[in-house]
Amino acid sequence: MTRESTDYLRRLKTALTGDPATPLAFLCNFEVEAQWARHHVGLPAPAATPTAIVQRMEELGILLAGPGDVLVVKHAPDEGYLRYLEEDLGVGLPAVLVPETTTEDRPTAEDLLNSPRALDRLSLLGRRGARLMPMGTSESEEKLAVSAQVPLAVPDATTFERVNSKIYSRRITEELGLPAVPGWCCESLGELRHALAEAAGAPGAVVVKDAYGVSGKGLVVLDTPAKADRLLRIVERRAARTGDDRLAVVVERWIPKRADLNYQITVDRRGDVRFDFVKQALTERGVHQGHLMPPDLGADQHALLRRAAAEIGGRLAADGFFGVAGIDAIVAEDERVHPVLEINARLNMSTYQGGMTELFHQPGHVALARHYPVRTAAPIVFDDLRRVLGPLLSPAPGGRVVVTCFGTVNAGTANAGTGDGPPYQGRLYTLLTAPDHDRLAALDEAARAALSGVLQPREGS
Amino acid sequence: MTRSEIVAAVVRSIGEVLQREIPGVTEDTRLFDDLQLDSTSILELLMAVEDTMDVEIDPEGLDMDSFRTVGTLVDYLQGLVDLVATGNAG
Repeated sequence: MTRESTDYLRRLKTALTGDPATPLAFLCNFEVEAQWARHHVGLPAPAATPTAIVQRMEELGILLAGPGDVLVVKHAPDEGYLRYLEEDLGVGLPAVLVPETTTEDRPTAEDLLNSPRALDRLSLLGRRGARLMPMGTSESEEKLAVSAQVPLAVPDATTFERVNSKIYSRRITEELGLPAVPGWCCESLGELRHALAEAAGAPGAVVVKDAYGVSGKGLVVLDTPAKADRLLRIVERRAARTGDDRLAVVVERWIPKRADLNYQITVDRRGDVRFDFVKQALTERGVHQGHLMPPDLGADQHALLRRAAAEIGGRLAADGFFGVAGIDAIVAEDERVHPVLEINARLNMSTYQGGMTELFHQPGHVALARHYPVRTAAPIVFDDLRRVLGPLLSPAPGGRVVVTCFGTVNAGTANAGTGDGPPYQGRLYTLLTAPDHDRLAALDEAARAALSGVLQPREGS
Repeated sequence: MTRSEIVAAVVRSIGEVLQREIPGVTEDTRLFDDLQLDSTSILELLMAVEDTMDVEIDPEGLDMDSFRTVGTLVDYLQGLVDLVATGNAG
């Protein structure tokens, strides 16, 4: 049983603050990309508000933070889940701070700014040396840092926004001489028109992505000339209506791939770069599904990723960034590695798994971090889920399931009928570990079967 | 354009986006949960509906609530068609 911080967390704190023991106030603001995107013109899209699932994902921070830290969340985690983490898994937990005034459709930082008691508590932590650790900084987190007098452990909003554009990713990939996916940066309607015309000169699909697209949104695949014409028509119409022809998108060739990859670097305040890990990312239509560890890569492929990591980290540091950056890459069907699809210079999904993989992913074993879609007729408590998963949660020769976020399970019921977005299901986030791929697949199937037995789709909704 | 014609146009457009037949669809069918459309498909769906129905859609004039079910999307399109028919589209 451990009650200490993980080495992973201590390294992160050292990189950001120079001290492995600095207390951090974690604010896992998953909606931060949407804040950055507000300043840029992307693909035409319906107005979206954060879904209940995205809001509840901030609970993932509980496994990144450690004893002595605090996690700020809109909803207090389930008591049974906290007991499971502490007593069954032996994880050292942070304190939890829930603002006394919360509103679902605004950033949690804004909740804090409207919650004098919680703000006082944060200020007290600041006086004791704590630093504010958002997933990424936007204007809301900057205001909070000033108001609570808790300095940011990470760069300011301007820096984050600058280095998180896909246009920035493409440009530095080319400048650094790394093998880029063939494509174009478009900052105006004219540039999009030009890019699509050039793209039409060669066979194959292209994908158009918002420079500040939120995961799984703000992209469209154009696999026929008719679709390219349709898109251009819609963008031209908007420009004519608004009188504004600015745009911030990239157009890239669609590369048939064998695997998606995600690797992480940490850039410390002196500009030194650490390669944290590489995982195989499981995605469906651009939407993240999970991570497989270790990825199936050859030595040359590993070497290219490490070279790219060092170069990109150095460039991020030169551009004023320090902190965690996740980089998406692909292995093409011809085994060629394209080491930069995009740079997410913020905490990533895989960032949150770091401490848990350190504790539960044994060397030589395989691991799968994934979520399962679930729908419950009514909110459930963790102990209900514990009964459903039963022995799968215990260490066994065939592997085990570790629950890495429970709050998102009930998000489906919270979202139903609110009119704030599509009726997404809830999600259960897990980490599965097993001695080999066959047993990992069997464990995955067993978890899926167990969940389908109890968490039935809502009747008639 | 009648409501049933709009429903047929929406179903045809969804089939084009998903690149498969989608039998048994009603106005109550949910786009995300039942048909497994996802957020990346929305713009493509609207582009397909534009061509199928020969209308102009402003994606930024919609909100996500219109994408709950086939019926909610048809409601929006019905309103659009009615506006055009009465000459108030601009």
